[in-house]
Parts: sequence; structure tokens; C-alpha cells
Amino acid sequence: MRKWFALLAAVALMGSVLTAGCLGGGADEDKVKVVLLLNGNLGDKSFFDSANAGVLRAEEELGVEVKVIEMGLDQSKWEPALADVSTQDYDLIIVGTWQMTEYLEKIAPQHPDKRYIIFDTAVDYTKADLSNVYSILYKQNEGSFLAGALAAMVTTSDMPLANPEKLIGFLGGMDIPVINDFLVGYIEGAKYIEPDIKVAISYVGSFGDPAKGKEMALAQYQMGVDIGFNVAGETGLGQLDAAKEMSRYALGVDSDQALLFKDSDPEKAGLIVTSMLKRVDNSLYRAIDLYLKGELPFGEAESLGLAEEAVGLADNEYYQQLTTEEMRQTLAEIEAKILSGEITVSTAFGMDSAELDALRNSVRPGS
Amino acid sequence: MKELLETILSPAFGYAILRVTTPILFAGLGAAVTELAGVINIGMEGIMLTAALAGVIVGALCESAAAGLAAAVAAGVLMALVMAYFSLNLKTDIILAGIALNLMASGGTVFLLYVVAHDKGVSSSLASPVLPQVRIPVIDQIPVLGEILSNHNVMVYVALLSVLVVSYFLYRTPYGLRLRAVGENPDAADSVGISVHQVQYVALIISGILGGFGGAHLSMGYVSWFARDMTAGRGFIGIAAQALGGQTPIGTLLASLFFGMTDALSNFMHFIGIPSEFVQMLPYLATVVALALYARRQVTRRARLARVNRPVEAGTGAAAEGD
Repeated sequence: MRKWFALLAAVALMGSVLTAGCLGGGADEDKVKVVLLLNGNLGDKSFFDSANAGVLRAEEELGVEVKVIEMGLDQSKWEPALADVSTQDYDLIIVGTWQMTEYLEKIAPQHPDKRYIIFDTAVDYTKADLSNVYSILYKQNEGSFLAGALAAMVTTSDMPLANPEKLIGFLGGMDIPVINDFLVGYIEGAKYIEPDIKVAISYVGSFGDPAKGKEMALAQYQMGVDIGFNVAGETGLGQLDAAKEMSRYALGVDSDQALLFKDSDPEKAGLIVTSMLKRVDNSLYRAIDLYLKGELPFGEAESLGLAEEAVGLADNEYYQQLTTEEMRQTLAEIEAKILSGEITVSTAFGMDSAELDALRNSVRPGS
Repeated sequence: MKELLETILSPAFGYAILRVTTPILFAGLGAAVTELAGVINIGMEGIMLTAALAGVIVGALCESAAAGLAAAVAAGVLMALVMAYFSLNLKTDIILAGIALNLMASGGTVFLLYVVAHDKGVSSSLASPVLPQVRIPVIDQIPVLGEILSNHNVMVYVALLSVLVVSYFLYRTPYGLRLRAVGENPDAADSVGISVHQVQYVALIISGILGGFGGAHLSMGYVSWFARDMTAGRGFIGIAAQALGGQTPIGTLLASLFFGMTDALSNFMHFIGIPSEFVQMLPYLATVVALALYARRQVTRRARLARVNRPVEAGTGAAAEGD
């Protein structure tokens, strides 16, 4: 038994040496070296896949050298991984999500010669000298405003699967500010179209349990929801299954989720009216481009929204088929009003919980 | 509060309970059989996960749900055999073998999915079939009961049937008696010529079959694709259910239904404005309460037995140590 264990350990050691060798080797001295650290895994069909697509596009079109590292779901590995790449010869280090903020606030000041980008959150610039960190925030509230407006138009329309009840759904992964930012925009957008709208709101409590997501979405559809918005990563895919089972509509999130099922399950794809895109890819490509030009404002946080094409609704064949010319017209008008500042969408960031509760209660079914 | 009551009393709620219960019940039955044979299988999570993936891949390749189901069961049995080999032949600790199996399945399924479909999270690019829903002829016509019991995925009925089959096997067949004897006292069983090794192998294989069914239900009935770590703790809840149900199939069914009910209830409670943190806690709170009640019952029963036994012991002068 012990011999086997020693052999296993030896194999594991060799494996790690070999992979480490691959990581270090093959560097081209002139190219700018970019590394993307993902605190999760690729394959989520939304958030991280989008980030990956953005840096790969930069590699192809901007001629930078790109390395993507999946750190997995084990939180204890994230900080050492960030510290590791910070001591290597990368020029630009990209991380994402609020879970990485604290680590970055600690490590970035120790490496003033490195440049860092953090997306979907901002570091606290008052905490330390973070003049080498650029933060990207997304105005998902603006995109969700459009999604909410569309949902309200669908539920009040005479579309074949819509019912007379003015009730729409929202399936959130967790009750956290970034998810609630989607919710706030969604509710405001829906109210903009139909002041009496009701929204069934559920939080699954996990981003990785699609069966539970389906169960909650089914509960919403059974209550009379005829279109629901999923903002729950992998969990949210359960909603799309529920939509098919109950023959109701759904709204996708982050990436174009109708295209995801276009080939394998066209019936399901045909129920996804549109997806609220969070173009992490565009924002990272833009940031790398600005960095190469020397124009990226390090030491600041920027919020990217409709104007920067960082959020928006997906336009595909299903969207064109399902929605009417009138709906698309209205959405274009709303978009123009948001861009011109005529409509300002509230954000969940910095909103206190009493205010958020009041907003949620104002659309609670049965109230 | 009124809406919540209306929801709970609606047939849709009863229907949801059965659907939520099914994967827990499969895991619980599998764990119960192994526990009775003295080789508790805590690898149910890994077995179900592997089976779920095998069902999707083979189902998509053969374009047949039946082939997918067969592959899921085969994968479940294979995983159980791996566990049996390590724990029974190589004598590793069965708990450690189970943990290893779960971790291996968690990473291994993602790796396999990537090899086959070039997906790392969800098998949405594979057009995998779904097991059919079944309408039960007579029950379908009964007003409320029909809505609750009929038109489920076929695996829901397989789960309920499994309760009867496992029950019959354990308590009405000679092999079931031998299996329980092995779990009760392997040395005694060995002394009367029962092959402990073989019986425990069979118990683990049965748990593999049941876990295979559970996995197939998750990826080919509950939802229509495989997702990374989609079992999400259902295997472990199943193990808790068999403990709560006292290792009997009927007890496991009742405990699974209880867990299923609290879970289904939590899905509906959001709508009446109860904070989501409380709602998410509910299934686990119910588990703790149920286990506490169970433990209390055990203690009082033991105390009563002790009282009943004492005069007899005193009369015969037998020095009974322990129980």
C-alpha cells in the first residue's frame, strides 16, 4: 500500500513539474503578456466564458500574448495563485468578481511595476496605493431595465404563450448586490411599461444547482408567471428547462442563451425571447486595447453600460420572430432615453436594504 | 400566509414533492442497503454524478433514452465496483474510499465531458434524450390524487417501486436475511458459512444500480442535460434520510419525503416575502430538528428497554454487558 502511495505521489509530482514547465516556457520577449485568472471554471456558458472570449480576441487582433488560468472553486487557492502570477513576467494581470477584491487590494500594492484589471467589481482605492489597478463595473441595471420593459410588454401582449395576469418572474442566484443590480433595473423597466406589474422573485442560493433552479422556476410558472429572467449562472439554465416543460417564455443572461440551445434543442431556444448580455468580452478587449495605447486610466473604476456596448439585449432570429416591430421600437426609444440621461436607472450598489425591500415589496404578487 | 396555504394545498405542490424526493430516495435506498450490510456507501454522490453523465453521453450518441438509462446504471455499478474493490479487497477505509470516489467523480465527469463534447460546465451541445413521462390510466382520472401521482417522469415510479422491491429483498428473501446478518455481526455470519465478502459486494452493486437510476433521473428527467456537480449534495441528503429512516426502505421513503417537502416548500416561500436566507436554511433546519427528534426517541426507547430488562437480569443473575 505504501509503495503504491509513493508511486502515486511521484507521478503527481512529475505531472506538476511538467505543467509548471509549460507555464514558464515559450515566451516571446517583445509581446505584451496578459494573464486572465478565473476564480472558477470555464464552461459556464456565460460570465467566465465571455471573459475568456474577450482576451482570446485580443490575442488574435491586438497581438498580445495571453494565458488563461482556471483557479477552480477552491477559494484557498485564489490568493496564492494571484501572488504567484504577480511575481512572474506578466505585464497585465486580469481578475474578476467581488470575491477577488480583497486579495487584489493586498497584493497589487506589493507589485507597483505590474498592472492589474479587475472586472465586475471595484477595489477600494482609499484602502491602499492602488494606482496600478483599473476596475471595470457593468451597468447591468441599464441592460436589465430593457429586459424588464420587454418582459412587461410580453406579459401584457397577446403572444401565444402569454396569459392575462400581469406577472413576470426573476430567478436570482444569490441575494447579493450584483444580482440585485439586475433586479432593480428589471423592476424599474417593467414598471416603466406597466405600473401595476407584479414580479415573482426567487433566490436559489447557489450558482451551481440547475435542478433546484428548475424547481423554483416551475413554481413561478405555476403561479402564473409567463416570462421569467434568470440571473443565476449554471443554476439559471434550469429555468430554461422549466420554460420548455411549461411552455412559457424565458429571458437569458450574460451570453446569448438562445444560441446555446439552437442546435441541440431548438424548441427550448424558441422560448428564449432574448438575453441580457453582459459583454465582459467587449470590456476586456477594450481595456487591453486602451492599455496598449497607454490610455487605460489606472487607479480608477469605470462603469460601462449601454453607451460602451458593455450591456444590451441579444438580437437574434428568435428575438426577431417573437417580438413585434412595435416592441422593438419601444425598446429602441427607451435605450435612447437612457443614453441621453432622460431615464436614470437606479442601482443596487449603495442602496440600503430598506429601500431595496420597499422596491421588492412594491411588486410582490398578491399585495 | 393565505397564499402559502393555498399553494401547499394545491396538487402542484404534492406533485413537486414527489419530483424533488426522487433523487434523494434513490440515494437513500442505496445507502440503506449498504449500511445494513455493514459497508456504508458514502460515495452515492459520486455514483449519481457519474451515472448522470454516462446517461447523457450514451443517450446522445445512441439517440435513445433506454440506452442512456442502461449506461447510467452500468456506470453506477462500475463506480460501486471500484469502491468495493478498494474497500473489500484492498481493505482501505470505506469512508475514505467514498470520499475519494466523490472527488474523483466531481473532476472526472468534467474531464470526460470536455473530451466528448468540448464543454466544461454544461452538456448543452449534446442533444441528449429525456426519459418519458408516464400517465397512469386509472389514477389519472381521480381529481386531486391524479394530478399529484400521475404524469411523472418514469424514474419517479421506479423509485417508488424500488422501495417495495428493496423491502421484499431485505425482509422476504434468504439473501436479504444473510445481508442483514452480515451487517449485524460479520463474524457470526462467517461462522455459519456466509461469504461476507460476496454479500458486501452484492450490497454495493445494488447501491450502484440505485445510484445509477438516481443519476439518470437527474440528467434525463429532472433536467435535460448534465451540469458540473449537478447532484449538489443530494447523495448526502439521501444518506441522512436512510439514517433518519432507521435503514428500513419505508423509513427511508418517509424521511426522503420529509426532506422533499421542506425543499419544495422553500421554493414557494419566496413569494410571500420571507427573507431568502431563512428559506434557504429551511431544509437543513428541518434535517437538524428531525435528527434531534430521532435521537431523543432512541434514547427514550433504550431507557424503556433497560427498565423492562432489569428485573429479568436480576432474577437470572445474568451479567449482561452493553446491549
